[in-house]
Amino acid sequence: MTIPEVFFIDLLTIVGLFVIISMSLNLEFGYAGVPNFGKLLAVAGGAFFVGAVPGRIMMFILSPGSGLDFVQNNIEAVMLLNQVFASDALASIIYLVFSLVGAAVAGGVLGYVASYPAIRLRGDYLAITLLAMAEILRVIADNWPEFIGGSMGVRIPDPFRWVGGETRALAVAVTILAVVAIVFVYLELVLRSPLGRALRAMRDEELSAEVYGKDVARLRTKTLMVGCAIAAVGGALYSFLTASVSARDFNRVTHTFWPWVMVIVGGAGNNVGALVGAGIFVTLRKFITFYKSYFEPFVPFDVVWLEYLLLGLALIVVLLYRPEGLVPERPTKTLRRKELLEIAERVRSEASSK
Amino acid sequence: MLGSILRTRELVKSFGGVRAVDRVSIDVRQKSLTMLIGPNGSGKTTLINLVTGVYRPDHGKIFFDGTEITGYPPHEVFRLGVARTFQIPQPFRKLTVLENLLVTQPGNPGEGFIKSLRRGRWKKFEQESVEKAFRILRLLNLDHLWDQEAEKLSGGQMKLLEVGKTLMAGAKLLIMDEPIAGVNPALAHEIFETFTRLRDEIGITLFLVEHRLDIALRYTDYVYVMATGSIIAEGGPAEVVYDPKVIEAYLGE
Ligand SMILES: Nc1ncnc2c1ncn2[C@@H]1O[C@H](COP(=O)(O)OP(=O)(O)OP(=O)(O)O)[C@@H](O)[C@H]1O
Ligand SMILES: [Mg+2]
Repeated sequence: MTIPEVFFIDLLTIVGLFVIISMSLNLEFGYAGVPNFGKLLAVAGGAFFVGAVPGRIMMFILSPGSGLDFVQNNIEAVMLLNQVFASDALASIIYLVFSLVGAAVAGGVLGYVASYPAIRLRGDYLAITLLAMAEILRVIADNWPEFIGGSMGVRIPDPFRWVGGETRALAVAVTILAVVAIVFVYLELVLRSPLGRALRAMRDEELSAEVYGKDVARLRTKTLMVGCAIAAVGGALYSFLTASVSARDFNRVTHTFWPWVMVIVGGAGNNVGALVGAGIFVTLRKFITFYKSYFEPFVPFDVVWLEYLLLGLALIVVLLYRPEGLVPERPTKTLRRKELLEIAERVRSEASSK
Repeated sequence: MLGSILRTRELVKSFGGVRAVDRVSIDVRQKSLTMLIGPNGSGKTTLINLVTGVYRPDHGKIFFDGTEITGYPPHEVFRLGVARTFQIPQPFRKLTVLENLLVTQPGNPGEGFIKSLRRGRWKKFEQESVEKAFRILRLLNLDHLWDQEAEKLSGGQMKLLEVGKTLMAGAKLLIMDEPIAGVNPALAHEIFETFTRLRDEIGITLFLVEHRLDIALRYTDYVYVMATGSIIAEGGPAEVVYDPKVIEAYLGE
């Protein structure tokens, strides 16, 4: 593959991962108005699940007599499993699918945990609590070696090994984009349904929604469970991209703050906005990182900070000139406009014929 | 005579030192248009908030349609058949006028994270809801605004939208906090005529707070008068307005 090809595939992969995460945040915040400042919790949770559980199970199934512990003898264990996966596409795919589904379930459980404060607290109190919950998970993983190798992390078996060589990156990209497509279609269907309308109603006026029969606590809980399940799949996919899991790979800047910026810049309350936001930010970031050294002679500080400065600037510009984001929310109808107008016309002619 | 659909017994609610509602017992008769009047700050809105589960009473009991609902959360009170409006309209701002109505239609089969995917199962319900919503919008002269975001409506239109939402909810008991404040007299009369039609034709009970007695009283079956948290008078509209206690409460403001 040529360098531009590698660059492009890598770009698509990272954009895809962030689209998944920002779409999940858009469901929580953009539709339902739950300010999930603990996005990291679910993303890391999904990755940690993949680091902790599937490898152990695979060791148990594929070589029960080896006496190797998946975490303590991580290198040997992963080598052993990779040998199997290198020649067995079916086993690889089952392993991949099982891991993603498992991560989603783990994410759903974390979402349920996060809903405990989310149905009791509002505003800043909720934001801080969710932020703290995410940090707690990260700190636990970092300091508990038996879980996912502590600060060293673990390598995980590679379900794309049978693809092999250069095309592996392409296979990972295609897998991630497939997940993006599924999540996008699912969330679009939700948005164009009575549920999407109820969520937006709850976001706009919680007390009215409650008084008009919506069980707000339940809706918030379910939203967080679904949102966190999606984000956890994003975290799991990131692990498969790098074939490793480490608590140090996850932090609140990358996995909470960036998705927030993406959703706000792209436009909350619609999935295209989350897509555009993630696309623009990852691309910008990649170009800035790529051309960083060119700026070196011109800036009087370490160029590492340039990235933050420019992206922060972009955020401020968007908030000033397009506070609703690049793609503003539009009414999404459950029925087509034409159909609505037909019904309106029928009601009108009925009334006047009376 | 019909029984009462809503009963409260000795309801008390204090905010700090203020007894906003002080041992209030009322009986709202089924299929009646019952009014709650009283000077500003007499506790009318607080009483509505108690009945609909927005506040919990410090003391006392609430019964709706024979069941005790004291302490029920608002959405459960709604599910039993009580819909209400707010004195200060609280529309779903970003939703269109039509959507504001559709949201309040109870029993929607498309409101789950999996159910929402089964379009075939909720489409018919949705079409029927839309038709019902357009009828209500027509009645309230809001049909030309169906596609407007609710936040762009005028104050009077928002009031009407609130009324529309309770009609959409198909409740047995409609509780409205000043439904015609800011609405022009002609339309206000039309709305009250609709209320009486709902009462006579469908058997809906209305429990209304209203300051504009000139318009409202002639449609009213029964009146409760509140002052400083307590019921000071009750009866038919004609007797109540000449009750010296009532006149004093209003003049003594
Ligand atoms: N949430 C609250 N916190 C503190 N005090 C309150 C609260 N709600 C109402 N009150 C007080 O309770 C009393 C009754 O208020 P309420 O709003 O029920 O009166 P009202 O009869 O609806 O008046 P109006 O005709 O002006 O709407 C007032 O003294 C008010 O200040
Ligand atoms: Mg009031």
